[in-house]
Amino acid sequence: MVLAFAAYPGVYTLLVNSGLSAEVTALLPRIETLVVVLFFALFAMSFDFISGYTGYLSFGHAAFYGTGAYLVALAANDTLPLVGPETPFMLLLVLAGVAAAVVALAIGTVSFRLSGVYFAMITLGFSQVLYVFVRDWDFVSSAPRDGVAVTGTTEGFEIGVPGVDALNVAIGQLTGDSIEGLLGFIDLSPTEVSFYAIGAVVLVCYFLLQRIVHSPFGRTLIAIRENEERARAIGYNTYVYKLSAFVISGFFAGIAGALFVGFRRSVTPENGFYFLVAGDALLVSIIGGFGTLAGPLYGTLFDEGVREFLSKEGGGGGLLPYLRANVGEGTLATELYNGLTVAEAINTFLNGHAALYVGLLFVLFVLYVPNGLLGTARDRMGGTLAKAVPTRIRRWFDE
Amino acid sequence: MSTVVPLLSALPAFSALPLQLVDALVEFLSPATLGEVIVRGLAEASLYVMIAAGLTLVFGLMGVLNFAHGSLTMLGAYLGGLVLVVTVAQSSGAAARLLAFGLAVVVAFGALAALGGVLEVGLVRPIYDRPPLYQILLTFGVTLVLDELARIVVLFYGLQPTTVWQDVLGTKPTFLADSVGVAGVSASGLELFQILFGVATVVGVFLFLTRTRYGLYVRAGGEDSEMLSALGVDVNRVFTVVFALGTGIAGAAGVLLAWDPAWGASVPLGAETLLPAFVVVIVGGLGTFRGTVVAALVVGLVDSTMTWWFQNVIDFTGLPEMVVFLVLVITLIVKPQGLYGVSEVGGH
Repeated sequence: MVLAFAAYPGVYTLLVNSGLSAEVTALLPRIETLVVVLFFALFAMSFDFISGYTGYLSFGHAAFYGTGAYLVALAANDTLPLVGPETPFMLLLVLAGVAAAVVALAIGTVSFRLSGVYFAMITLGFSQVLYVFVRDWDFVSSAPRDGVAVTGTTEGFEIGVPGVDALNVAIGQLTGDSIEGLLGFIDLSPTEVSFYAIGAVVLVCYFLLQRIVHSPFGRTLIAIRENEERARAIGYNTYVYKLSAFVISGFFAGIAGALFVGFRRSVTPENGFYFLVAGDALLVSIIGGFGTLAGPLYGTLFDEGVREFLSKEGGGGGLLPYLRANVGEGTLATELYNGLTVAEAINTFLNGHAALYVGLLFVLFVLYVPNGLLGTARDRMGGTLAKAVPTRIRRWFDE
Repeated sequence: MSTVVPLLSALPAFSALPLQLVDALVEFLSPATLGEVIVRGLAEASLYVMIAAGLTLVFGLMGVLNFAHGSLTMLGAYLGGLVLVVTVAQSSGAAARLLAFGLAVVVAFGALAALGGVLEVGLVRPIYDRPPLYQILLTFGVTLVLDELARIVVLFYGLQPTTVWQDVLGTKPTFLADSVGVAGVSASGLELFQILFGVATVVGVFLFLTRTRYGLYVRAGGEDSEMLSALGVDVNRVFTVVFALGTGIAGAAGVLLAWDPAWGASVPLGAETLLPAFVVVIVGGLGTFRGTVVAALVVGLVDSTMTWWFQNVIDFTGLPEMVVFLVLVITLIVKPQGLYGVSEVGGH
């Protein structure tokens, strides 16, 4: 899977320049979209880490994402005390994580006295308090409602080893580094460099999370999800376990938020703190597989893919420009029903309305595939894919 | 002590603040201001109780936290607005306009109740035996679909160049927009109308719960739905009826909101009403109707009080909105089950 992601930009460029160019730009997500997939998947993973593994629905998870995002944006604009614009981005990543973890500790200490629906609601309440606060606090920027854009520095945020220039690459669509002639034949555009750099951070975070999930600590979380009474009866202090998991989850959500600003260079209350950001994480976790760590990645890939495919005016790809370019005028002007032409129908039902189809699919998943893509695949295979697939293949060869 | 006081009074902000606060307090406690704040608080409480009543009925009986409730309110607002715009002509008198409003409420209630019934039978019923988490997820998905569908329709018919559908506001009788002065307290006609409507709904739901056979089932089902079905009651049908009733009330609430310039019919109305509705039902204790009414009063009055303070004394524009959520957070910290809640609610 990691290899597939690593090879994607190369394959994509190859295909775009090949004979299938139009189809490829329409169908496959752009690299920009994949970068979004990476950092949002990390956020969704952190959400799934607490909600999927302990069963406590953290509906206010956007608070941690937003905290991380705002920390980076504010530090770069020299608004924060102590951390200025010259702070290395890698340090900011950790700081964003720590800040989000502190927020998580504060929220979690109070919230874990409750369970079930009440827990979901109190976390939602906390995150909305923060949302309104950030939206109207003029410390954040002169127009807090419009969010913060990084204006303090024009240089890209660098991912790599802090202090060593040769081991750093800047990320961002316009501010990032481009690489020419690596190993003699590889050329990478700024977006592709960002893709690999952010991918590396996400991969490290994923391995850390996976390590935690497979540790005795992670097993205890699952025990809490399955039967909290029993877990407590065995002698686990479930409160401490849940709270620690919440703080860890907040830490990684903060890093995801930091990566988001690192690439996009701006954040608004709506895409940082609003509760529907956590709703999106929930959505992709369900589609990908609730209670599986890698599931949210596939869910995000699917969600962002569909959104880009049906994007408004098809910014740089998607269905709309493809149809406009390849379907004849006559077909487009054909009347379908009561004066509704095909072109209008496409505009009405397909242009920018991905949320409808993602929502429908989400409902179907909840009803019929509650374990999500990855969870169902695992059930079929009888184990994690990494273990089950090689066994299967070996069995085929033996027969 | 003696060194601290001059230090403080040397700072202009600190020396002026206590005096300012005292002045503000005196003004706040004057009958005219207090009366206005209370009337506005009651009007807000009426709106809150309208949007939260259906939610609490459904949760009380079935243990389903309906995330789609806000979107259903939004649909009610559009549907009621449509009826109002179609039936009310420029020259209609106040009585005709009120009649049209009644018609809009009936239409919105009926249509949304039907939709709610279909949703319950088609989507919610298959997952009653799953953990409550899945019902939240399912209704959350329904919200996404309903919102996007509404957005498509609104765009297609070009209803909304602005966020609020202004045409509906124009169908209000003129006396609702005027201020009425009673004993030195001025209140807008709309606020009084909202209070009337809210009280009527509360009384209606209360009578339904205590005086009808279905109300009895609802109260019994909230305690123990298995026992209820063992006694020969078709619990599934009770669930469907209550779900339909709850969504119907959401629709009626939407029509009421469509006339209020602070809300109005718009697609984001779904999310905007859902959150306060949640706050109210949680603060009151999930599933208790009495708690919901009390919580709506608390939230409405706190909200209007804080709005006055933040408009006149303290300058922070966003705080009134934040107050609603602060009420939620503080209540849950002090009394985790809400004002009237019990630890186990819902028949599942």
